[in-house]
Amino acid sequence: MTGDRFERLLRDAAQDYHRPPETPREEMWRRIMGARARRRQHMLVQRRWLHWGLGIAAVLALGIGIGRWTARRPHGGGAETTAGRVPNEAGTLAYRVAAAQYLSRTEALLTGFRTEARPSAPDAQFAAQARDLLTTTRLMLDSPAARDGRLKALLEDLELVLAQIAQLPAGGDKEDVQLITQGLDERSVLLRLRTAIPAGPGPVRMQGAL
Amino acid sequence: MDERELIARVRAGDGAAERALYDAHVDRVYRLAYRLAGDDDLARELTQDTFVRAFERLGSFRGESKLSTWLHAVATSVVLNGLRKAKRFRQRETDLDEATGISGGPPPAEPDLKRRLAQAIDRLPKGYRIVFVMHDVEGYTHEEIGAALGIETGTSKAQLSRARGKLREALADFAGEWVS
Repeated sequence: MTGDRFERLLRDAAQDYHRPPETPREEMWRRIMGARARRRQHMLVQRRWLHWGLGIAAVLALGIGIGRWTARRPHGGGAETTAGRVPNEAGTLAYRVAAAQYLSRTEALLTGFRTEARPSAPDAQFAAQARDLLTTTRLMLDSPAARDGRLKALLEDLELVLAQIAQLPAGGDKEDVQLITQGLDERSVLLRLRTAIPAGPGPVRMQGAL
Repeated sequence: MDERELIARVRAGDGAAERALYDAHVDRVYRLAYRLAGDDDLARELTQDTFVRAFERLGSFRGESKLSTWLHAVATSVVLNGLRKAKRFRQRETDLDEATGISGGPPPAEPDLKRRLAQAIDRLPKGYRIVFVMHDVEGYTHEEIGAALGIETGTSKAQLSRARGKLREALADFAGEWVS
């Protein structure tokens, strides 16, 4: 056998290198369509969360701003009029609306995370949502809510949990997920969060911790 | 339907056009993914990722090359990234093969040549292996390889030549027997 024949033999033999089976067209097509539908849904959810997050942050910032402005105003004792209380009430209302929305969304995220996050592959969607809520948590800690010791402690726990979820790697880490859910259970975060959420329908709720 | 029309229809969200694009290219993408991955599940996943990404990014395709060239550039990028992620798994497999002494062996015969060749291809440096598989196994031209991998045609030729040289070295005992 000559060198050329050996080369030809090599090339023929190479055809058997990882020889592919028949292309599973239909199955792959179904999965591609499924993956694309999930990505579209994911993007819609992300967009919606972004809008909500920005809205909450804006309302909170407004509430805090009004609160601080009214706090700096000198009180005129008995001369204070109804007009003088208006900005304060507006600030409180804005704060309550924003805080109720924030707490409800945080509760939805943590409940979803606890039930849906598979230890091997937590959804990247949770991390993105946690990042959005983390910003609002920091605003909340700077808001009148932080004057309430119980709520402040809850917000600090939420900040820690949200930061942990936000930093979860895309591929997921079993131990990290377990640590987060363990922390949620040990500090009764979800229970305290649900207690803090004002009861009743609509954005303006006047019960709970607010 | 010509290529430009097909692309325009896919961009407009025409499902039938998407399917037509998929049907025209899926065999070649899957075959390349399978040849390089050597694993059906991984090859399917890489093929799926290729098309998901291609459909998402078709809007950025400016038509400076043929659609097939662009698509294969997307495919090779997805496949190479996927293989990098699976590298640890592949390394474990290779270690296991070495531990069980597959590379040693009985006197040469053709089935053994194929097995030894497969192992030798697996052990080629990554760039050589990809060019060898694309050219000698899947029949891509050097121009197609250059466009897909973002390298010069001359680089592709040089890597193929070195890959073949390394394979000849690895299978020298076969060559010696059959050349003599």
